[in-house]
Amino acid sequence: MRGASLIIVRLGLLAAVLLLWEALPRLGLVNAMLLPPLSDVLAALVHILGRGDVHASLGVTAAEVVVAFVIAVPLGAALGILAAENAYFGDIFKPMLFYVFSVPKSIFLSMFILAFGIGFPQKVAYAAFSTIFIVIMSASAAVESVKAEHLLVARSYGATQAQILRRVYIPSMLPILLEALRISMIFNFTGVMIAEMYASRVGIGRLIADWGENFEMAKLLAGVILLAAAAMAFNEAVRSLEARCSTWRT
Amino acid sequence: MQHVANVTGTRTDARAAVEVRGLSHVYAGRDGAVPALEAIDMKVPAGRFVVIVGPSGCGKTSLLMMLAGLRAQSSGAILVDGRPIDRPDPSRVGVVFQEASLYPWLTAVENVEFPLVLKHAPRAERRARAEAMLKLVGLDGFGARHPHELSGGMKQRVSIARGLVQDPPVLLMDEPFAALDEQTRMTMGHELLRIWEQTSKTVVFITHSLTEAVYLADEVLVMSARPGRILDRITVDLPRPRTYQMMATEEFGALRERIWQQIRTAP
Repeated sequence: MRGASLIIVRLGLLAAVLLLWEALPRLGLVNAMLLPPLSDVLAALVHILGRGDVHASLGVTAAEVVVAFVIAVPLGAALGILAAENAYFGDIFKPMLFYVFSVPKSIFLSMFILAFGIGFPQKVAYAAFSTIFIVIMSASAAVESVKAEHLLVARSYGATQAQILRRVYIPSMLPILLEALRISMIFNFTGVMIAEMYASRVGIGRLIADWGENFEMAKLLAGVILLAAAAMAFNEAVRSLEARCSTWRT
Repeated sequence: MQHVANVTGTRTDARAAVEVRGLSHVYAGRDGAVPALEAIDMKVPAGRFVVIVGPSGCGKTSLLMMLAGLRAQSSGAILVDGRPIDRPDPSRVGVVFQEASLYPWLTAVENVEFPLVLKHAPRAERRARAEAMLKLVGLDGFGARHPHELSGGMKQRVSIARGLVQDPPVLLMDEPFAALDEQTRMTMGHELLRIWEQTSKTVVFITHSLTEAVYLADEVLVMSARPGRILDRITVDLPRPRTYQMMATEEFGALRERIWQQIRTAP
């Protein structure tokens, strides 16, 4: 069984990395100030998870991520579909979107602070801004992936516009849209983190930046583990949905 | 050419399953109006197998789209089952397209029942009907497969089943076997004739292949290069059921040659 042996090798590799993480600082082979042993980091993780300010920060960050996502995804999808379906709108806006997409969004961060102040609206606005372009481009690509033959078949069997949307557009686009959802979340989460680390009073990004500045490496790495786990959980959840909806894609 | 006035509601000839009168089509191209089809007249009696052949770009696919109600002609009339057709009507016309027209996210049986889903047919009824159609086209037991798990020939069998599922009197086929290898193509032609004889549909079939045309047809319509006109109507009176051996006969060769000469020497 190739699949089973692959999983064993992967788990073995993970175990080796974790073991080295524990052993190298303990043996003095790496500076334990820079890389505390895994057991210390896990202890710090348990400690911070019991702290009230961490709970509050996690709540704020989660709210920022969710609100920014809920704004950027539907709005970006609508604009992307419009750009693909309406040739005039597409001709005008596509080149512009394409150029702005290539620019690193972090250079606009100061402008968001000036416009929104430091706080929840600024984090949400900046994260939504850094996410929306990838959503627009993906939604537009999803519409363009719908095959003309498939639409023709539906029309030849007398499908209404609503039936064409539901029975042809949506199933055709679903795999690309789910992939877009996954990738947009990466942009969105990054946006919130950058905004929090740059200037903020609350939020898990702020805490991580503080721990870094105070050289509290065990706490910093505990925060990293926490965020990495949350990001991976979302990614894997959407990916499993994607796999179920894309068996037909070859 | 007689002018065809408003023919709505008149049943001029109940025996003609498909009737085209004075059809012309002009489309707007880059450099002005381009005539695509010119003065097409055809009358296909019910139960006949008519094949249209012609060079690439002669407008035969456009003509088929018009017969299916998927595209409007500039002038002239099309009657299917005695009534004009100006929009898709799957109860009168089933269409079998070129390759890759199946929905890859649906299984074979779901693809076949797709037209019935659009009509909100009850689930059990449409499933039973789709299974029966799969059986008719020789795919009994393949219903749960997705298109990517089927061969090219099997996919086109599913397309034929989908075209027949609403039991329309007329089946339009647009180069359905063009993407298949020669051997599969011959088998599919033979299978199509079996299905046609079993269902007694009227078939209008478009192809590039002269051999396929003669093998399948009661009548072959030869079209010219653009603007497409009908150059010749050739009755094929080879006996039915057709056999592969007939392809080697002198009669078959003579018919094929006649079509070839028409296409080759056309202006």
